[in-house]
Amino acid sequence: MKKKAWKLLVKLLGKTLLAALIFFAATFTLYITNGENKLIYYVVRPFLNRHYDSQTRDRRIV
Amino acid sequence: MKFIDKMIAPVDKALERFDPLWQAQNGKGGLRSRYYDKTGVAKWREWRGVKDTMVDYTAWLNNLLSMGLMVASAPLPVLKGMWEYRWMGSFLGTFLFIDRLFEGYRGPQLKIAHMNMHAIVKSLTERIAFVLANDARLGGGPETENIVPHDETITPLFLKGFKGLHPFPLQTLPEFIICDVDQHIEPYYIDVAESFGLPADVCSRCAAETGVAIDDAFPLVGKVMLSTNMPCNASEATSMFQRRRIGKPDFPVTLAMQHNNPEALPYSRQTILDAIHFVEEHYGVKWDWDEFFKYAKLINEQNTIELEKWDFFKTPYSALTGIAETLYRLYSWQSVNGQDPYFNKVDRKVIKLMRKAYEQRYDPFRGTCRHRAFLWGPSAVYYTDFPTWCANCWGINIVLNMDSTMGFNMIDTEDPEKALDDLTRFTEKACMRHHAVGGWENVNAVWQWAKEFNCDMVLMNDNIACKGMLGVHALMEEQARDLGFHFIFVEHDLEDSRTVSRQDMRNCVNKYMDVVLGEKPLDPTLVEFDDSDAY
Amino acid sequence: MTKEVFCLKDLKHLIYFENLLQDAQNELVDKAKAEGRYALGYNCYYVPEVLLNLPGCFSSRLRAPRCTSTDIAGYYMTNRTCPYARSILERAIEGGFNYLDALFGAESCATMDRMEQHFFLINPIQNPRFFVTQIDPPMKGDTTNLDYYKVQLRVKLLEPLRDRLGVDISDEAIRKAVEQHNRLCRVITAIGDFRKLPNPPITGYEFHVIMLVSQVCPHDLILPYLEETLEELKTREPEPKFPFRARVVLAGSEIDDPDFTRLIESCGAMVVADRYCFGSFPGREEIEIYGSESAFDAVCRHYLHWNQCARFMDGRKIDQRTSEVQRLVRDFAADGIIYENMKFCEFWSYEKVLKSSIFINDLHIPTCTIEKEYALGAVGQLRTRFQAFIESLEIKQLQGGK
Repeated sequence: MKKKAWKLLVKLLGKTLLAALIFFAATFTLYITNGENKLIYYVVRPFLNRHYDSQTRDRRIV
Repeated sequence: MKFIDKMIAPVDKALERFDPLWQAQNGKGGLRSRYYDKTGVAKWREWRGVKDTMVDYTAWLNNLLSMGLMVASAPLPVLKGMWEYRWMGSFLGTFLFIDRLFEGYRGPQLKIAHMNMHAIVKSLTERIAFVLANDARLGGGPETENIVPHDETITPLFLKGFKGLHPFPLQTLPEFIICDVDQHIEPYYIDVAESFGLPADVCSRCAAETGVAIDDAFPLVGKVMLSTNMPCNASEATSMFQRRRIGKPDFPVTLAMQHNNPEALPYSRQTILDAIHFVEEHYGVKWDWDEFFKYAKLINEQNTIELEKWDFFKTPYSALTGIAETLYRLYSWQSVNGQDPYFNKVDRKVIKLMRKAYEQRYDPFRGTCRHRAFLWGPSAVYYTDFPTWCANCWGINIVLNMDSTMGFNMIDTEDPEKALDDLTRFTEKACMRHHAVGGWENVNAVWQWAKEFNCDMVLMNDNIACKGMLGVHALMEEQARDLGFHFIFVEHDLEDSRTVSRQDMRNCVNKYMDVVLGEKPLDPTLVEFDDSDAY
Repeated sequence: MTKEVFCLKDLKHLIYFENLLQDAQNELVDKAKAEGRYALGYNCYYVPEVLLNLPGCFSSRLRAPRCTSTDIAGYYMTNRTCPYARSILERAIEGGFNYLDALFGAESCATMDRMEQHFFLINPIQNPRFFVTQIDPPMKGDTTNLDYYKVQLRVKLLEPLRDRLGVDISDEAIRKAVEQHNRLCRVITAIGDFRKLPNPPITGYEFHVIMLVSQVCPHDLILPYLEETLEELKTREPEPKFPFRARVVLAGSEIDDPDFTRLIESCGAMVVADRYCFGSFPGREEIEIYGSESAFDAVCRHYLHWNQCARFMDGRKIDQRTSEVQRLVRDFAADGIIYENMKFCEFWSYEKVLKSSIFINDLHIPTCTIEKEYALGAVGQLRTRFQAFIESLEIKQLQGGK
C-alpha cells in the first residue's frame, strides 16, 4: 500500500515535472524566438488594421 | 547562489557570442544586429547570459499571465473592445515595447526594471478589463455609472474620497499610454483632427485627443467629465471638443498656473472643493475624509520611498535608471496616484534592491556610462526607449526625468484643513506642468535639479509644437553655456513620428556626441538604423 | 470693392489717426509722457485697460506696426511661436517701447507669457523705472475665478502701481477712471453702431483705425478727436448704394493691422463687427457699478463677464463665445463670419474649428476660417479665400438665403 502510494507520488511528480518541462520548453522557445511578436506584427495586426480601416466611424464635431 | 553562478559560468562563456553587448564590445555586431530591417521586430530575443535571460523570460511570462487574466476576467468586452477601438489593437505591441525598453539591461537593473514594468502591465490590464466591461458603448456593466472619468493630468487622489466611485483617466487608454507603445497609432487620430481643419502646428498630443473625440473612440463611462487646464494651452483647448463629444456635464478643474505664488493656494484649493461638490451633486455620494486618508497614506509612502530613491540617483550606483525610472514614476504618480497598494509593494521591494545594489557599488550599464544627464521637457512618446538608446549607444545615463519631480510633498492624514492644503500643492504639481508653466523660475529650475543629481549634461526635449518651451529656447541655451552644462536640444513632435522621426531624434544626440564632444559610440550598430515601421 | 466706395468723403482725422498707428510711441504718447504721466503697457484684454488709466497714468496696448522681420525674437523664441508675440519682443529689443514705465502682462497663453518674461529677463526696455508683472488669468466665469481675478489684479496690478509708482488706487480714483473710460466707450460704441445701418457712413477699415487709436493713445488726448469724428459721422453722406457685396463679422485673435480689414473689404465684404483681440467686442462696453459694489469689484466683474478669450474652459463661457458672435451677426445684419487665428495660436486654432462647425452645421451661418501671419505680407492666398467666400455669400443671397 505504502509502495503503491509512493509509486503514485513519484509518477505524479514525474508527470508534473514533465509538464513543467514541456511548458518551459514551449514557452521558452516562443520567448527566445520572439514568436508571439512575429505573429502579432506580421499576422494579427495587419488583420486588425484591415478591419479598423474598413470601419465606418461616426466622425463629427457634435 | 555562488554555486549556481559557477554552474552557469561555462554556459555563459559558450553562449557569449550571442550577447549583443559582447558583440558590440568585440566588433561583431551589436544591439541592432538581430532586427529585421525597419520593423523593430527582432529575429530572436536578446541573449543576456543565463541568469538575466531567465529574469527576462520570467518577467515575460508574468506579463503574459496578466494579459491572460485580463481576457479571462472580461472575455467578451475585451474582444468587443479589440474589435471596436483601433487603439486596443496597439496594446498587442506591449511585448515588443517592453523588449526595446530594457535592451542591454543586466543584473539588478534588469530585475528592478521588470518589477516596475510588471506593476504597470498588471494595473493597466486590470484597468482595461474594468473599463471595457463597463463601457456603455459595448453594453455597459454594473459600475458604468460609478466611474468618474477625468482628464489624464488631473491627479485622481482627491477622487478617492468617494467610497464606491472609480476615478478613470479617460485619455489614458486611447492616447496617454498607448502612444508610448505604438508610434503609429496617434498619427491616425491626429489626421482625423486635422481633416476637420485643426492646424498641424498645435501640440500633437492634444491633436490626437481631439481626433479620438471626433472619431468617437473614447470609452463611454460615468455620469460627468472632469476636465482641467493642466498642463498647457492646447490641452485646455482640446477639452472643448471632448466635452461636446462626450456630452456629459463637465467641470473644468482649473488650478492656478502660477502655483508658486501665495495667492494661488486658496484659489486652487477652492477649485478642488468645487470639483468635489460637483461630483457629490451628480453621483449622490458624500466625500469621506477617512476614505481619502487611506489612500493619501499610500501615496505618502510611495513619495517617501521616491525621495530615498533620489538619494541613490545622485550617486553613480543606482540600479534604477533611465526609462525604468521615468515610465514607472509617470504611471504610478500621475495615473495610479495612491489608488493601488500593489505599487507600494513594488516600491518596497525595489528600494531594498536599490539599497543592496548601492552597498555593492553596483555600476549600471556595466560601467559604460560617460555622462549623467537630466532629461527635461515632455519626451517624445513615440520614442519611449530613447533613454535606453542614449545609454547603449553613447553611454549617457539619464538619471532623472523632469516628470519624475512631480508632486512629492507629503499629505497630512489627520487634519482635513492641512490635508486640503497639501493635496492642493500636490495636485498642482502635475505631469508636464509644474516645471513648465507658472513662471520662468519653474523652467529655470532645471539647472538646480541637474546639479543636485550630479549631472554634467541636460537633454532638453524640444517639442516642436510646445509653445511654452519654444518661448525660452535661446535663454536655455545661454544658461547652459554660462553654467557649463553639456546641453542638447532633442527635437521631436511628441506623438507624431512622421514630423521628426526617431532617427532624426537620434541624430541630434549623434551630432553633439560626435562633433562637439568627439566621442565614439559604444555600439556602432545603434548610431544609424531605420525603425520607421516599428511600433 | 466697387468704385463708389471712394466717393465717401474722407474723415477729417483719418490720416492723423493712421499716422498715430505708425509707431507705438506716437505724438500723443510723447505728449502724455511730457506731462509726466506713466505709460503702462499691456497686451491682453485680461488686463483691464481702465485700471491702467488711473490718475497720472495712461494705457498703451502694445503693437508692433510695420514689423516685417523677427530675427532677434526668433532667436529667443524660435520661429514656431505666435508672430504677434515675437513681433512685440522684436520691437522691444529694437527700442520701440522704451517709453514704457511698466508692462502688465498676463499668462493668458504660453507664448505671450514667455514673451513678457523676456521683458525682465533680457531687459530690452531702456527705462530704469520699468518693471513687469504678470497676472494668472482665470479660465472660468464662476465666483471662485472672479475672486482669484480680483486677487490677481490687486496684487499684480494695483499694488505695484501704488507701491512702485505712487499711483492713487483708491475707490474714488478707480471710479473716476471708470467714468472717463465709459465716456470713451460711449463714443466708440456710437461710432461702431453706424455699421448696423444698411448703408453705413463708415467702413470697417475706418472703424478699425478708430478703435485702434483708442487703445494705443492716452484716452483723454484722443477723445476730442473721436468725439469730433462722431459728430462728423452723424452728417456724413454714405454712398448712394451700399458699396459692398456682403457684410461679415470678423472674429478671432490679435488683429491690430487695419490693412487686414482693408484686405477683406477690398475683396467685397464690409467688416461690420469686430470680435477679435483689439476689436470693440469686447472692449468698449460701458462698465456699470452696482449699488454698494466697489469700483474695483465692478471692473473685475465686468472684464470677466465680457471676456471672450478662447482659453475659457467652462461651458457657460464657451457658449457665451458662440452666442456673442451670433448676436453680432444678428445685430449687424451680417451675411457670414470670418474666423481668424494667428499662426501658432493654439486657442484660436481650436476655437475656429469648433465654432465654424457650430455656425455652419448647427446655426447655418456661412463661416470661413483662415490663418494669418502678424505682418501682412503675401496676401494672395487670403485674397483668394475671401473672394471665394464672398462669392458664396452672394450666391446664397441670390438663392434667397438657401
